[in-house]
Formats: sequence, C-alpha cells, structure tokens
Amino acid sequence: MDLIKIFLVAVLVNNVVLMRFLALCSYIGMTSDVGQSVGMGFAVTFVTVLATAATWPIYHFILVPLGLTFLQILIFILVIASLVQLVEFYLKKNIPGLYASMGIYLPLITTNCAILAVTFENISFKYSFIESIVYAVGVSIGYLLAMVLLAGLRDRMKSSPVPKFLQGTPILFITTALIGIAFMGFSGLIK
Amino acid sequence: MKGIAKLGLVLAIFAAAACASLAVVYAITKPQIEAQDQIALTASLKEIFPEAVNFEDVTDKIASKDPNIKFLNAVLVKSENAPIGVAVKAAGPSYGGQATLLVGITLQRSIAGVRVLELKDTPGLGANANNPGYFVKKAEKVTFPGQFTGKYLTDAFAVKEDVIAITASTITSKSLTKIIKTAGDSAAEWLETVTADTSAETTGGK
Amino acid sequence: MKSLWKTFKQGIIYENPLLMLMIGLCSALAVTSSVSNGIGMGLAMTFVLLFSEIVISLFRKVIPNSARIPIFIIIIAAFTTMVDLVMKAYFPELSKSMGVFIPLIVVNCIIMGRVEAFASKQSFLPVVFDSLGMGLGYTWVLVAIAAFREILGNGTFAGIQVMPGNFQPILFFILPPGGFLVFGLLTSFNIWLKNRMAKSEKAKERA
Repeated sequence: MDLIKIFLVAVLVNNVVLMRFLALCSYIGMTSDVGQSVGMGFAVTFVTVLATAATWPIYHFILVPLGLTFLQILIFILVIASLVQLVEFYLKKNIPGLYASMGIYLPLITTNCAILAVTFENISFKYSFIESIVYAVGVSIGYLLAMVLLAGLRDRMKSSPVPKFLQGTPILFITTALIGIAFMGFSGLIK
Repeated sequence: MKGIAKLGLVLAIFAAAACASLAVVYAITKPQIEAQDQIALTASLKEIFPEAVNFEDVTDKIASKDPNIKFLNAVLVKSENAPIGVAVKAAGPSYGGQATLLVGITLQRSIAGVRVLELKDTPGLGANANNPGYFVKKAEKVTFPGQFTGKYLTDAFAVKEDVIAITASTITSKSLTKIIKTAGDSAAEWLETVTADTSAETTGGK
Repeated sequence: MKSLWKTFKQGIIYENPLLMLMIGLCSALAVTSSVSNGIGMGLAMTFVLLFSEIVISLFRKVIPNSARIPIFIIIIAAFTTMVDLVMKAYFPELSKSMGVFIPLIVVNCIIMGRVEAFASKQSFLPVVFDSLGMGLGYTWVLVAIAAFREILGNGTFAGIQVMPGNFQPILFFILPPGGFLVFGLLTSFNIWLKNRMAKSEKAKERA
C-alpha cells in the first residue's frame, strides 16, 4: 500500500517537472519531437533506477558506517557520472541497436538534476531500498509523462496561431503552467 | 601507461584535498547541526509552557494509537521540580503530505498549546494553519492552532462543531485536529499512570 | 581595470545566466516563491561559483586536460557540500525550505559552464570579477522573480506585509504553475529586449 502511495505521489502529486521544477533543461530542450521525448524519458528512467540501486547501498553500507556522510554530494555525483559512462560504453559495444536509439541522450543525463535529486531524497526521506527503487521509478515515469505531454502539445502548436510575443520558448512555459494547473488537481489524491 | 598513472595521481590528490577540507568544515558545523533540532524544539516548548525549566525525555513511554500518526518525540515538562505537563511531537498525514505538530497537554487534561512545526499543504489554503496572520476567529485574533489552547480532551474535537475549520481547507483542518486529539489522548492516558500516586495523595487528603 | 569592470558587467546584464543564456533554470523557478529563499539561493550559488572559479584558476596549469571534468566536479561538489553544511548549521529554516535545491547547485549548468569556459583559462583577478558578476546577475534575477511572485501571491516582501490589508493575495503566483507563467512572460520580455538591443546595435553600426 505504502509503495503504491510513494509511486502515485511521485508520478502525479509531486510531478518532478511540473510541480518541482527539476530537469527543466531537458524538458524544454528535448521535447520538440514525441519520439525523442520518449527516448529521453526511458533513458532517464533507466539511469535513475540504476543510480538509486548504486547510491543507496553506498550510502548505507559504506558512508554511514565510516561516518563519511558529509561526502554524500561528492560521491553521488561521481557515481552517477561514471555510471553513465559505463552504460554508454556497454551499450555501444554489446547492444548497438539500443545505443543508436538511447545513446545520444546519455551524455545529457549526467547533468540532469532529477536523477541526483532522487538519490538525495531517497536518503533524506529515509526510504528503504525497495521504497527507493519504487520512488525512482515513480519520479522517472512522472518525468516521462511530462515530456510526452509537452511534446504532444508542441506538435499541435506548430499549426496553431501562437501570439507573436509568446512564440518560441515563452509559450512552452505558459503551456507548462496550464498543464501544471491541471496537475494541481491531483494534490488531494493521497490522504 | 605513464600518462594514465599521472592522471590518476592528480585526480587522487584533488579528491583527497576535497575530502580533507570537507572533513574540517563538517567537524566545525556538526555540533551546531545536531543541536539545531533541539534548539527549535526547546523554543517551541517554552512558547507553550512559559514557566518550563526542565525537560525529561519520555519518548519511549507514550505510544500512538493510530497507525498513521507517529510520535517523534515526547517530553515531560517540569517547572523547578514539579511536572507541569507533557508535550508530544506528532507527525501524521495531511492534505499535502506529512504534517508535524507539537502538542502540549496540561496536568488537567487540557491542551496547553499547539505549534505547527512542519506543514506542506497548499499555500494560502491549508497552509494557513501555520500562518500567524490567519485567524479563525477574526475579532479575537485566534489562529487555527490557537483555538485549541485550553480545550479539554473530553471535548468532541469535531471540525465544524467545536473546532473551527480553515476556510476551504476541511481536509487540513480535520487531519490536524486528528493529530492533536490522538497526541492529547495518549499523553493524557500516560499522565494518568504517572500522576496516579501524587493525585491519589491529594484526593486522599480531601 | 576597465576590462575587469567589463567582465563584471557582462554577467549582470549582457550575459546574464538566467535572462540571456537561459541556463540554471531549475533552481531559479523552484526557490522563488519567497524573496528570502531567492536571496539565500543567490548567495549560496555565488559562493560556490566564486570559490570554484578561484581554485580552478589557481590550479589551471596543473590540471591535466583529459581529467579536467572529473576534477571540476570534485571541486564544485566540495564547495557545494560546504554551503550545504553551513546553511544547515546556521540557517536551518532557510535550508529546510530550499531542501534538495542546495545540494543540486552541484549540477547547476552555470557553474560548470563558467568554470569550463572562463576560469580554466584566466588568471585570478578576472576570475573573481567574472564569478561575482555572474553570481550577482543570477541573484538579482532570482530576487526580482521572487519579489513579483511573493508580493502578488502572498502580499508580502521577504515576509513583511507590503500590500494593504484588504488585498486578497493571488495564490496562483506562489504555486508551481504561477512560477512557470511568470518565467514565460519574463522570457517573452527578454526576447523583445534582445531584439531591441540587436536593432540599436545595427543602427549604431550604420551611423
């Protein structure tokens, strides 16, 4: 029950992009095409889950016993950066098909603040390992959802008469504000 | 090969320097960070019980009866020597997530005061529970948590009956009231067992 | 001296990270529901930027080119952690209300961008002026957005009531969608400003 709650809150109530302003760079930059946004969404899901699976044990089994919790930021960012490199390397060599579709997004992911935020929050919310993984999946699905929503709307926007002063980036933020208002409705979902 | 070894060495030196300097900053700030929660708690306790001098940790002795509401902390508040009440720091679900309240209970089983420590509800609506400028009784300038002060635990604690709700935030009002009532009941029950001896003496004397 | 001043001014206006370069947006939107958060975030960011740039500039000759990115990350992460610890110790309220956004300074593109493009090539003085200019440029935009949102959304400025008592706050502005709307309008204004600047430049050339 608690796991479902963690998942739903992460996807809808506290949507990582729409409610928490994380990962905005890729949200604006990678949504000009629906296919691309889906690719980015899955790449982020993959790395977020992997990063959580790596950083949670590191924190609880290495940093805590050694009293080195103050190195958390330093260690986590390095782990994520090297993880991304490893995944890229592995895909390139062994699954070139997947690399061709996902590989181009990987370098962008290191600086995606959503992933780092998830790994920090798993610690500060005192989640267990299972809860952390569920939270990671939830946040990433929320990200994927926001990406696809905006990409779909951008597709429609191409043929819509956008006021001149809002053309380009401004209309994306205004649209996001409107999607965000709709998402505010989810905030009473969980009691 | 030599190049890689040199790279590794440079990296290691930078990493070591970073870790060492962080260890220093950590050692300086650590006591302050750890004291911070205690400072905040003591400050809120003194607001509720102005005459409080000593605090005794009784966290293990008071248990919540509601599985959704957790007691993070409980203290027996004392003046110079005699107990004057109990305070429970309780966390429970509200509209926007966990809400943490500090509930003070007097020896007379009434609410000494309520402080909202953490609340993530909608700004301007539910979050008004924690707004010192929002009054449920405008004329008397009584805030939402303020209305509980002096209320007896034998009361109904029913929102819209004896508890005034925050406008357009029934869920927040109900959730917070429930946390207060749960904390108050458990604390009062525990007080019963502690003061049984002393109160027996006083009633015996009558 | 003149060129130093120019470096400083670049960050505040012409190359303002938020307005002109449009980087580091996440934190800019997330913490601007109140002015005090905006100031806190701006100063934290300026601190990390200043010291990371100084350290990297001082050591730029011994940092091997192929290992520079990990070293930059280590240095930035170290200063971010320091800010995080100091905030937790001495400004617990501020630290709580900004939550995860303080540690996230480490992935703020502004810092990595400046370090890579400027600090790794320049000497001490220009680096100091550059980081202060960029930091201040970031801070003032944050405070401006935050002031707009807080005054309309809550009727206060840095917690002090500024609107008349009968003013009904427009909640929307301090909620997340309000942040997106304000920023959307700001970018729109900005594009207009850029176009105007480009036009006047052209006019100057012609004259």
